[in-house]
Amino acid sequence: MTPLLRIRDVSKAYPDGSGEISVFDKASLELIAGSHVGVYGKRRSGKSTLMRIAAGIDRPDSGSVLFDGLDINSISGVERSRLLRSRLAYIAINDWRPNPGETIVQHLAVSLGGGGLTVREAERKALRQLDVVGVSAAQANSPATQLSMVDRTRVMLARALARDPSLIVIDDPVLTPSVTERENLYRLLRTAARGLGSALLVTSEDLHALQGFDVFVSISARELCSSETTATIVPFPIPPHLGPVRDTGS
Amino acid sequence: MRGVLLGLVLERPGHGGDLANRMVTRLGNTWRLDSNDAYRLLEQLEREELLVSREEPGKTNGRRTMIVYHSTPKTSDALSLWMETLLPREPVRFGLHAKLSVARPEDAQRLMVALRDYEQKCLALAQLVTPNGREQRSWGALYMDCTREAVYTQLRAEIDWAASARDRITEYAKSQPAR
Repeated sequence: MTPLLRIRDVSKAYPDGSGEISVFDKASLELIAGSHVGVYGKRRSGKSTLMRIAAGIDRPDSGSVLFDGLDINSISGVERSRLLRSRLAYIAINDWRPNPGETIVQHLAVSLGGGGLTVREAERKALRQLDVVGVSAAQANSPATQLSMVDRTRVMLARALARDPSLIVIDDPVLTPSVTERENLYRLLRTAARGLGSALLVTSEDLHALQGFDVFVSISARELCSSETTATIVPFPIPPHLGPVRDTGS
Repeated sequence: MRGVLLGLVLERPGHGGDLANRMVTRLGNTWRLDSNDAYRLLEQLEREELLVSREEPGKTNGRRTMIVYHSTPKTSDALSLWMETLLPREPVRFGLHAKLSVARPEDAQRLMVALRDYEQKCLALAQLVTPNGREQRSWGALYMDCTREAVYTQLRAEIDWAASARDRITEYAKSQPAR
């Protein structure tokens, strides 16, 4: 089966004083259409960088990112914006920037507008989407600036779902100490994505929150490790005198 | 145990009690090996020609002799092979800790493979845990969730540890000048 998203041999480093910090070294990841992939990693392990690279928002230093066969690093900015408004949804909790005085439903309606919908039609569609993610009509009319972190994710998910995406990329959706809220939100993500047949790529600092995902991936030591792959010898910068690189074939 | 004994003897020869003490120093008390068991294992390794014993005068009392175990030409290869062997699937692999405790610099690549394989196995185990489908908070759901959380916490700790160990080996390797 052809993967919906194929990240191949991606390397990324950031400048750090006179040197640089390597985030990935030839990391690869494949995601099948409709599958749910949970990426576990500690803070500052490179999860956000991976999500931005997967969504084409950041460019890797080397390697390729193919979304449904399309090299998202070679397309124009306009095409990328169009892609991010349609088949590829990217959600980062820090991107929540409602206008002052805006209600939740107004905020969502504005982002849904432009597709030939009137304001009233956009608001009706926004209410339907908010209902899917568990935001009631009463809540929908409250100020968007007063939302909790969890509810922000719900609204951002509603916005993403309204575009019927093939892939939803979410960077660490939950910033809450409540285990129950965290579990409920991840369950909602899985259920909502399953309803649309969308693939899901989500990060978490909490392995427990990723229960029920089809594939677990860990991100650490500049590598990605997937529960789906068998162990292979990976590119590893050990000088030759510190041991032979032998392909076990496993 | 066999691999650890081979690694310890390869570092320097020793008698049964000395090797058992060095094992405890290296791995902690959970690995305490009875002297009789140590000698039984050492004799078995000698029968396999992986070790050789010699009667030598004791260090503190020269009149008393001790059976001291030395490495053979086969010891190093046997240790390398043990480094590459697969480990059982339990979440906490003391076997991997044991390998690390006697690893030589030339085992770095083997350790990296073992650590990455372990990390992948832990992720696969996490994937196998059945998710809780109930949103309603009942006592049953709560204690099942707590049990699940225990499994995830243990697996997460092992994943973090394996990643940290890999990171440290990589950093060490980078700091070493190529010969």
